[in-house]
Amino acid sequence: MEKQFRYGLTILLSTVALLQFVQVIWRYILQAPLMGLDDVLIYPTLWLYLLGSVNASREDTQIKANVLDVFLKTEQSKLGVRIVADIMTVTVSGWLTTWAWGYFRYAFRVWKETPTIYLPTFYAECALFIGLVFMTLFGLQHLITNIRRFNMLRTKPVTTSLHSASEGSA
Amino acid sequence: MVEISLMAIGLLVVMLSFGVPLPFCFGGALMFMHLVGGATMKGTMLWGFSQLSNPVLLCIPLFVFAGSIMSESGIAKSLLDFVNIFVGRIRGGLGIVASLSCAIIGAISGSGLTGVAATGPLLIPEMAEKGYPRGYATALVANSSILGLLIPPSVTMIVYGWVTDTSILACFLATVGPGILITFLFGVVNLVMCRNFPLVLDEPKPIAETVRAASSATLLAIPALIMPVIILGGIYGGIMTPTEAAAVAVIYAFPVGFLVYKGLTWEKFFIASKNAATAIGAIMVMIVFSLMLSQMFVMEEIPQALVEGIFSITTDKTLLLILVNVLLFFIGMIVNDITSIILTAPLLLPLMEAIGVSPIHFAAIIGVNTAMGGVTPPYASILYLGVRIGEVEFVDVIKPAMILIVFGYVPVVFLTSFWPQLALYLPSLLGY
Repeated sequence: MEKQFRYGLTILLSTVALLQFVQVIWRYILQAPLMGLDDVLIYPTLWLYLLGSVNASREDTQIKANVLDVFLKTEQSKLGVRIVADIMTVTVSGWLTTWAWGYFRYAFRVWKETPTIYLPTFYAECALFIGLVFMTLFGLQHLITNIRRFNMLRTKPVTTSLHSASEGSA
Repeated sequence: MVEISLMAIGLLVVMLSFGVPLPFCFGGALMFMHLVGGATMKGTMLWGFSQLSNPVLLCIPLFVFAGSIMSESGIAKSLLDFVNIFVGRIRGGLGIVASLSCAIIGAISGSGLTGVAATGPLLIPEMAEKGYPRGYATALVANSSILGLLIPPSVTMIVYGWVTDTSILACFLATVGPGILITFLFGVVNLVMCRNFPLVLDEPKPIAETVRAASSATLLAIPALIMPVIILGGIYGGIMTPTEAAAVAVIYAFPVGFLVYKGLTWEKFFIASKNAATAIGAIMVMIVFSLMLSQMFVMEEIPQALVEGIFSITTDKTLLLILVNVLLFFIGMIVNDITSIILTAPLLLPLMEAIGVSPIHFAAIIGVNTAMGGVTPPYASILYLGVRIGEVEFVDVIKPAMILIVFGYVPVVFLTSFWPQLALYLPSLLGY
């Protein structure tokens, strides 16, 4: 899956940059209007955002604060906090997915088109629901992994670190 | 509804503390407001998601991408050599090289992490070899890296301009004055600190050799130095929008990375792209949900209630500015820069305007405070990255980091708040 994300995300990101660059060349060097590029841009852009976030959930590199970890001393207590956080994550993510499902059905029913070249926007809008489904599933996977580790820790001491707790920033 | 909103913010803080990913912290607060407060979610999802296709926001991923490519390309080495020409020979010069290089890299990337990621692996070992304590070298590079958030283009200023409907170009300029002042103060603090370090200074070289090395370093640095010219010149020359300038920066970074500095390989490119895209995804989805929560607060008239509540306690401008700075400082300590801005800017801007602080001036205040948050524990992502890169214990970094914060950042925070010209002079030159 690492390979698929690596190439998929690279293609999406490069496409977004390239389309914007083409727009600059067309507008400022060729001095001609390029109709419809903004319409096309919507697809790689929205899929880039959502698949990027799905990958962050897969790698467990979503932005987190982890304030409590500073005050906790043992691996077991840190893992306990992780499990609580994972439960909250899956609950909220699942709830948001139900709303995204409503949005998915709405987008399918209305079948909007882009303003200039009339492309159906549904194929970009469905990224939210699909992305949230995968984020929920990866959240669930981390929860199960951390519960197993917690149980292992209770029965015998282990030296492995937590199932990641990375942080990020702009 | 004010009570429900306050409880939602409380829940948000609890979830943050437990380490729930930020997008779901905002989602949890939304869920609470919907299930307990009865706030409507109908249309909120539609509105929030539609904001993502805003072309203004597109410059965030493109600047992050350009920064990632440049960081992998080996640009840092040429910049360090270039800055070294001017200040490398003085005692403590290497510390000044760190600050200046991070400021220049900030003019390329727009992110706080790029500076430490690009210069840290080169600069920290070299500083340690020349007699700087490793913890100090790491603290200085990490703190200087924050200049990426103050020297334009700045991702945080794009977000601020977007959420408060303020000119992004004006916001970019508002943080330049504070950014330059911080660079200067870090230089001064570094020179003072260096008096206690057993530094090993280079032997003076013959003039001809020095001139040759300086010309070679300058020549090699030119492709890197052209990048900020393209970005800032394109934007402020009225030639390109920030999004278009960011796209041009990405395309320019390719040949520079592959052919000029030759640090970029296809493998590094794919890894850098995936990492950049993952960071972008995490940021953008967080922005959607935080924006939805922020919109819900606005719909429930929470900012107005906040202004009225605070004005019932005091209307003194000085006291309010101090309180807002303290609040921003504490929020910056527990959440990242973008979250801090999305959470606080729409809530506090009406209060600031009511006491006569313009949105552009507030951009500088919030920019400096959130930048400082990136190196202030417990949420000190840039400092943690510095610790990893510098291969040093956190306890060795925290003391010098605090010295730099107290003597570098804190005076600038107060100057930015109480001397508006520091932030407003440059925007006023361009008519903002």
